[in-house]
Amino acid sequence: MKKIIPALLAMVLVLVFMLPAFGQEDIVELKDPAFTAPKRPAAVFKHDEHNELAQIDDCTPCHHEDVDEEGQFIEGDPDYKCADCHTVEKGNGTPLQLAYHKMCIDCHTEKKAGPVACGQCHVK
Amino acid sequence: MFNEIYELVTGPLAWIGWGIFLLGSVYKLASLWSLAKKKDTSSIYYTKAKFGLRSIAQWSLPFGTLGWRETPSVTVVTFVFHICLILVPIFLSAHVILWEEWFGVSIPALPNHVADVMTLLVIAGGTFFAWRRFSVPEVAFVTSGHDWFVLGVVVAPFLTGFLAYHQIFNYEVMIVLHVITGIAWLALIPFTRLSHMLVSWYSRAYIGSEFQGVRHCKDW
Amino acid sequence: MKKPVFDRKIEDIGLETGTSRLTPEKIQETIQNVLASETGAKLKVYHDTCVRCGLCSKACHYYVSHDGDPTYSPVGKVVQTMAVMIDKKGKVDADFIYRAAQIAYTECNLCRRCIHYCPLGIDTGYIMSMVRRICHKLGVTPQYIQDTAHSHSATMNQMWVKDDEWIDSLLWQEEEARDEFPDMRIPLDKEGADIMYSVIAPEPKFRTHLIYQAGAIMHEAGADWTMPTLHGWDNSDMAMFSGDFEIMGRLKRDHFERAQKLKVNRIVMGECGHAFRSVYDQGNRWLGWADYPVEVVHSVEYFADLLRTGKIKMAQKVKGPITIQDPCNIIRGRGLMEDLRYVAHAIADEVIEMTPSLEHNYCCAAGGGVINCGPPFKNVRVNGNKAKADQLRRVKEQGVDLCLCPCHNCHGGLEDIIHSNELGIDLKFIGDIIYANMVKTKAVEE
Repeated sequence: MKKIIPALLAMVLVLVFMLPAFGQEDIVELKDPAFTAPKRPAAVFKHDEHNELAQIDDCTPCHHEDVDEEGQFIEGDPDYKCADCHTVEKGNGTPLQLAYHKMCIDCHTEKKAGPVACGQCHVK
Repeated sequence: MFNEIYELVTGPLAWIGWGIFLLGSVYKLASLWSLAKKKDTSSIYYTKAKFGLRSIAQWSLPFGTLGWRETPSVTVVTFVFHICLILVPIFLSAHVILWEEWFGVSIPALPNHVADVMTLLVIAGGTFFAWRRFSVPEVAFVTSGHDWFVLGVVVAPFLTGFLAYHQIFNYEVMIVLHVITGIAWLALIPFTRLSHMLVSWYSRAYIGSEFQGVRHCKDW
Repeated sequence: MKKPVFDRKIEDIGLETGTSRLTPEKIQETIQNVLASETGAKLKVYHDTCVRCGLCSKACHYYVSHDGDPTYSPVGKVVQTMAVMIDKKGKVDADFIYRAAQIAYTECNLCRRCIHYCPLGIDTGYIMSMVRRICHKLGVTPQYIQDTAHSHSATMNQMWVKDDEWIDSLLWQEEEARDEFPDMRIPLDKEGADIMYSVIAPEPKFRTHLIYQAGAIMHEAGADWTMPTLHGWDNSDMAMFSGDFEIMGRLKRDHFERAQKLKVNRIVMGECGHAFRSVYDQGNRWLGWADYPVEVVHSVEYFADLLRTGKIKMAQKVKGPITIQDPCNIIRGRGLMEDLRYVAHAIADEVIEMTPSLEHNYCCAAGGGVINCGPPFKNVRVNGNKAKADQLRRVKEQGVDLCLCPCHNCHGGLEDIIHSNELGIDLKFIGDIIYANMVKTKAVEE
């Protein structure tokens, strides 16, 4: 029994945490509420479709927390919000907007696939 | 395919464009200066900063000179056109983001709707100038192919930029055209009538000095 | 838009014989030589940066007077002349040179009014004088102005005045004046005098009374002055306008050296515009002087000084309003508008300004050598200056009967304009009025 309770608890926790993960099926755009006055339409981004197309299984590099000694991203908790670390205003780290832009465009440029110009993501 | 083209125009082509603009400008100024030192020494001799700056300041004032007062429509359009022409490419928010992302330089950005209006003003100004080249006899008489070409080169990045921003027609095609025309605009400055941007400060200062210094008379 | 054609060719024996001797090779070689050796960054910048906005058009009296004919605008004249020579690297034909010469010599007065209109500071007057330079080197110059240049070259004066005729004219005027001023002299070659008074050759030739009047004013003011008996007495310089810069340089050197030989403090020159231009602007530069080597005082400045210091007092002022013609070469060229106003108000009850006035005043259309191109081109400058006729008509309607006109070229030009438009306005030099109305303490009792 003593082993079952933690296991059940773990299952419940996993289920609870999977709910937003199921919810991610609905992600079609990156509408970050941290941007209180966005100047462009939110970037179009279909999470699962993107990952399937790009054959991405890892949550890094997108979901990361900090970098290790070699400058590689440390896997982060997808439940955290980008704006928790990246502030909209210029602070210590990479500002939020720049973080988004670099995350998407740098990878797309490197892979020579995916949108790179403003209007390709911020579709009117 | 698009990614390769986009990378080409915003990468190597842009560097070439900036390189031609910067090196070409340096070459233009240096070669003119050495020619002036050889052939126009008296012009250099009479040019004085005090008179030159006075002249530039006066001509920077809309309606501050006889010429500006005589044709008010041209004066208004010329000032609006040039102000927008210079401010928009530098302070447009999309460009400000690129300055930051590519060069790590962060500068304030124009609000989008303001930049949008300013872009339209450049296009409208260009249309006004085109109308003058067609319909005003003293302008039509002196207009050549070169003038049309230059006008087109100047307005094209604004037109394509406007269409790209509003995603009218094919966005991918438009943004590439926008980058190409913008680069052409820069690269052609030293080699066309657009070089007035580089050298007319000096010709203004020179004639201002001739008038105020030698001829004891204002040049406006 | 259909380009207007040049349909105003005027027959001139100088232009005709000149162009008849041209070959394509000679034309190209000459143009290329002048462009390469005598022009530099200035012309290149003007050629490269003019954006063809047409703003300069309204500056030009020819354009305004021809109801906006674009072929008369400053930039219009450039695209018909220098711009083509540069673009085609000198490959133009003799007909083109004829047209270019006619435009540059007779349809531009080098008055530089267009400077006030060009945002880029392009000096169309300079471009036109370089066109003239090329035409001069090609031997294509209007006959009359070429004749004055020949005279300059042979006699060092503009009007073929011989040495003895010059001295004779001075002695004659002295003799005349002594009837009125018994003690008056025209001191000849007085070494160490304060002032050398110089005139243009048309004065001894056909406006001799001006020398009388100047003598009377000098005498009354108690000036220590002299006039030279030898060449160098003529301050005029038509070679500057014909494009013969070598002769221009000789003339200016001669004029200055005459003053230096007489060891005078300064030169006072008569009421002439272009001669003034040639001492402070063009002739001096050709000789390598930043400014004149001997101080040169224009009559307008000199008279203003005499009136300010009370050396000359007016017995009476001109009744009724007068207006003022602002000669380009002393106003736009040398900023004497305030002195001229001072003088005008000192000698007349009322001054009614032309519109526009001061440095924005319209040219007379005779200056820059145009009147010196002679009778064949008289109508060019008279019909080409309806703008001036309109200005004069407007002041006439306000009661002006007299125009103060301190320049020989302006006199000639305005005289024809007034006559052909039947405006009924008298033209006077300042000297005319001062002489007539000053307090004459040294004259015989009448």
